[in-house]
Amino acid sequence: MSPNKKRILVVDDDEKHLLTTREILELAGYEVVVHNSPFRTSEVVRKVSPDLILLDVNMPALSGDRLCSLLKGHASLKKIPVILYSSNDEDSLRRSVAEFGADGYVCKGDIAGLRGTASRILTPLI
Amino acid sequence: MDQSTEDCFVGHLISSHEQVSPASRVENVADRFFAERDLEALALVEEGHPCGLATRGKVMSTLFHRFGFELFGRDPILEIADRHPLIVGADENLEAVLDRAMRREFRDIYDEILVVDENGRFKGLLSVKRLVVEQGNTLARSMAQKEMALTKAREMKRVTDMKSQFIAHVTHELRSPVNAIIGLAELMQLSAGEGQAGHLREKLSLLSSSAVNLRALITNILDLSKIEAGRMDVIVEDFDVAALLEEVAETTRILLGEKPVFLEVAAGPETRIIHSDRVKVRQILTNLCSNAAKFTDSGRIALSLKSGGEHVEMAVSDTGPGIREEDMSRLFSSFTQLEEAKTRCHEGTGLGLAITRELVALLGGRITVESAYGEGTTFSVQLPLNLPLHEKEAI
Repeated sequence: MSPNKKRILVVDDDEKHLLTTREILELAGYEVVVHNSPFRTSEVVRKVSPDLILLDVNMPALSGDRLCSLLKGHASLKKIPVILYSSNDEDSLRRSVAEFGADGYVCKGDIAGLRGTASRILTPLI
Repeated sequence: MDQSTEDCFVGHLISSHEQVSPASRVENVADRFFAERDLEALALVEEGHPCGLATRGKVMSTLFHRFGFELFGRDPILEIADRHPLIVGADENLEAVLDRAMRREFRDIYDEILVVDENGRFKGLLSVKRLVVEQGNTLARSMAQKEMALTKAREMKRVTDMKSQFIAHVTHELRSPVNAIIGLAELMQLSAGEGQAGHLREKLSLLSSSAVNLRALITNILDLSKIEAGRMDVIVEDFDVAALLEEVAETTRILLGEKPVFLEVAAGPETRIIHSDRVKVRQILTNLCSNAAKFTDSGRIALSLKSGGEHVEMAVSDTGPGIREEDMSRLFSSFTQLEEAKTRCHEGTGLGLAITRELVALLGGRITVESAYGEGTTFSVQLPLNLPLHEKEAI
């Protein structure tokens, strides 16, 4: 792992989205770690200590928004910003952000939005 | 005109047309009351116009009073009849007529009411008892109508709820492949800009599979709308259903990819030519097979074909997860998926089986399902060998 690059963890059960998201973010200069299931996410988070977590919402057995509230419930993990990244309706994403304590959302397909949000959260304020 | 409104006109409630001339002798009228046990009243009618009413009760009580018979027996009935009975028009409303009837002298309340047409000519007699019963019925009917309206409103709400649920499902399902396409296209543009191949082949294949998924979803949604609107055409022709089964099996093998699932086809040795809609039958089989391929991770999928009498039976069996007993009832409903939208393992709109069932019905057949949870599922489709033409015309 490169020491200067910011690290983003992407959790999504859909391999297509995992692949495209990884490449888009890598091209934007981030280090990307992907995880294809909601399970063992906190383990992965501890292991890779990401600077940002992108969570898909619709996933088998545990939805991304619930996963977010689990992560936010860990004293050691709750400082890591979590962004919901989903093909769901924007209104429903907004509700999920409010309800489950996420730090924001990006609609899948909004690539500029994805880059913008990542850079907004990960660029240190001077 | 609405049945209940029509019933409210008293013209529809006439229970008797009995009449006598006002000049008839009292004794003759009395004879009639003796002879006809059900005769309650006689209208006095002269040249078509009513001029009085003789009721059983009043005629009899007059005659059985002291010397009544001797006093009045030979008089015309008009002498002892009610010369000012209640007369109403045939188009008057039940409520209004009953109201007028009840405002009469207490002793006259149950007297029959005479009904006349627009020219004042006698049409018949109304029994107050019957009117009261009818009023009760009308009330009961209006309550039943209210209940029906409530049931309908509840049903409408259920459909609306289901539709919004469906929209929640379907927006995600439609957007997901589009978003993958957008992402992949963007990446390819970036790598093309830099003059690099950048795993182009892999991306193109993902791009086209996303597009194919999207097309399947859109087709499903459009098909269901077409079926619901009753605009699905049935075009019948002779075709070999065994060959069709093989064709669908090939596509299913592609869907299964690398999964350790053995797919077998067991069609009888003789060719099975049926007269039906080939495209619809293929769609039915494809839907069932792609479900089997989607849900079966290992084991076996078997397609079979049997024929007997006037029907062919096609079955798709799998060793997938099976269906719980309690989920069976909503299996074929449109807009329902057995899994919760946000946490399900399998994608889809939940329209496949609903469409399949509609298509089977369209072809005059029936679909049944047998499943043991944890062991597998068998869908069987029975179709007539010869789709009668009138079923086509009925669509």
